[in-house]
Amino acid sequence: MYAFDYQRPSALDEAVALLRDLDEPKVLAGGQTLLPTLKQRLAQPGSLVDLSRIPGLSGIERRGEGLFIGAMARHAQVATSPLVQEVIPALAELAGMIGDPAVRNRGTLGGSIANNDPTADYPAACLGLGASIVTNARTLVADDFFTGLFETALGEDELVVGVEFPAPARAGYAKFRNPASRYAMAGAFVAQMADGVRVAITGAGQGGVFRWAEAEEALHADFRPESIAELTLDASDIMSDLHGSADYRAQLVKVMTLRALVAALR
Amino acid sequence: MALEMSGSYELPVTREKAWEALNDAEILKRCIPGCEELEKASDTEMKAVVVSKIGPVKAKFRGTVTLSDFNAPESYRISGEGDGGIAGFAKGGALVELTSSETGTTLVYKAEAQIGGKLAQLGQRLVAGTAKKIADEFFKNFAEAVASGDA
Ligand SMILES: Cc1cc2nc3c(=O)[nH]c(=O)nc-3n(C[C@H](O)[C@H](O)[C@H](O)COP(=O)(O)OP(=O)(O)OC[C@H]3O[C@@H](n4cnc5c(N)ncnc54)[C@H](O)[C@@H]3O)c2cc1C
Repeated sequence: MYAFDYQRPSALDEAVALLRDLDEPKVLAGGQTLLPTLKQRLAQPGSLVDLSRIPGLSGIERRGEGLFIGAMARHAQVATSPLVQEVIPALAELAGMIGDPAVRNRGTLGGSIANNDPTADYPAACLGLGASIVTNARTLVADDFFTGLFETALGEDELVVGVEFPAPARAGYAKFRNPASRYAMAGAFVAQMADGVRVAITGAGQGGVFRWAEAEEALHADFRPESIAELTLDASDIMSDLHGSADYRAQLVKVMTLRALVAALR
Repeated sequence: MALEMSGSYELPVTREKAWEALNDAEILKRCIPGCEELEKASDTEMKAVVVSKIGPVKAKFRGTVTLSDFNAPESYRISGEGDGGIAGFAKGGALVELTSSETGTTLVYKAEAQIGGKLAQLGQRLVAGTAKKIADEFFKNFAEAVASGDA
């Protein structure tokens, strides 16, 4: 690790001011991505701004029909929350599938979506449910928040404060884990919302999480497995790497979408 | 690990203009994503400092950009090679071809990239996408620079 300064503000305003004024600052949440990167010396921030002592960032509460979950809510907290299990069970299940227990006890919702790893799980839930990302400055719909591989609409001194998840009529999530890292090699979040069906795919797209429009249309017409049985996903924008070719992943996406649908129908 | 990419862009200028821009260090500097310095060492070689940001990773590469295989004003090769210190190395190149079209010029590129060291170990699942993104961004920036008349 290279040397860095460490700041632990106790208010959101203070954190935003630090991000604006310090030289090369970096937000620290659960540290599950950031700390390994620093240990490998693959980044050299001037300061870390630790969000863990800012009150009110990790709550889970009802908001209208849906839920508001704070940016610092740990994966384990979401997975075991009775409120999440009641209102959006698929979201609790998804959080319980992330990494291993150590990662789930430290990793946070805000850190996961700010990082926008193309193989992470939460981006699929946000996009699949049509969630709104609340920052210290504005509220963005998920479709506008995730802008590409490891990229989001967040500005340099902008923080994720929490996420508003609308409640689906039915929803399910399924992923094919990479057996070593447990990140998704393909993951699908299928949700039947008041205004239509949404299908968000992670783990597979070259530009990160994306919506599978053909599957959405087919399922909107008829929400059952037969509707998408004949579909194939175009593999031209699908990742190809040592773990699997684009064609293989495209096929996995379809299988995961079917499984997510079956989970939603359960 | 090695990767291959390709793409094409429409440029609203003549082939001669596009060719000039491809050989202009100032324009290349503005178009190479994360390029902080690009200094001419000769007509075909430039010293470069490029900062690459992929998610949490931020690495500074020092190296050279070389132009070769000239076939004016139709095609050339642009290649780059950089040492990111502890992060590892990256190198890549692209064969760039220009053909006149009805609306100006069509640019077609075929690029390949290679990385090694820690970046490669860490990044199997991210490197393929990133290399493609960097190549796309470079040619997109280039198309915009040429279109806006900066060239
Ligand atoms: C072994 C292992 C396995 C994993 N498996 C999975 C998996 O299966 N699925 C999955 O989805 N994820 C997985 N992860 C990732 C993990 O779930 C974390 O979500 C992820 O590391 C980021 O969250 P964090 O809280 O740890 O953020 P940090 O590492 O602290 O930060 C990550 C990035 O986000 C920024 N950031 C953090 N919080 C905010 C905020 N509130 N506002 C703005 N920017 C912010 C930081 O500056 C940093 O750039 C795995 C991680 C490990 C180490």
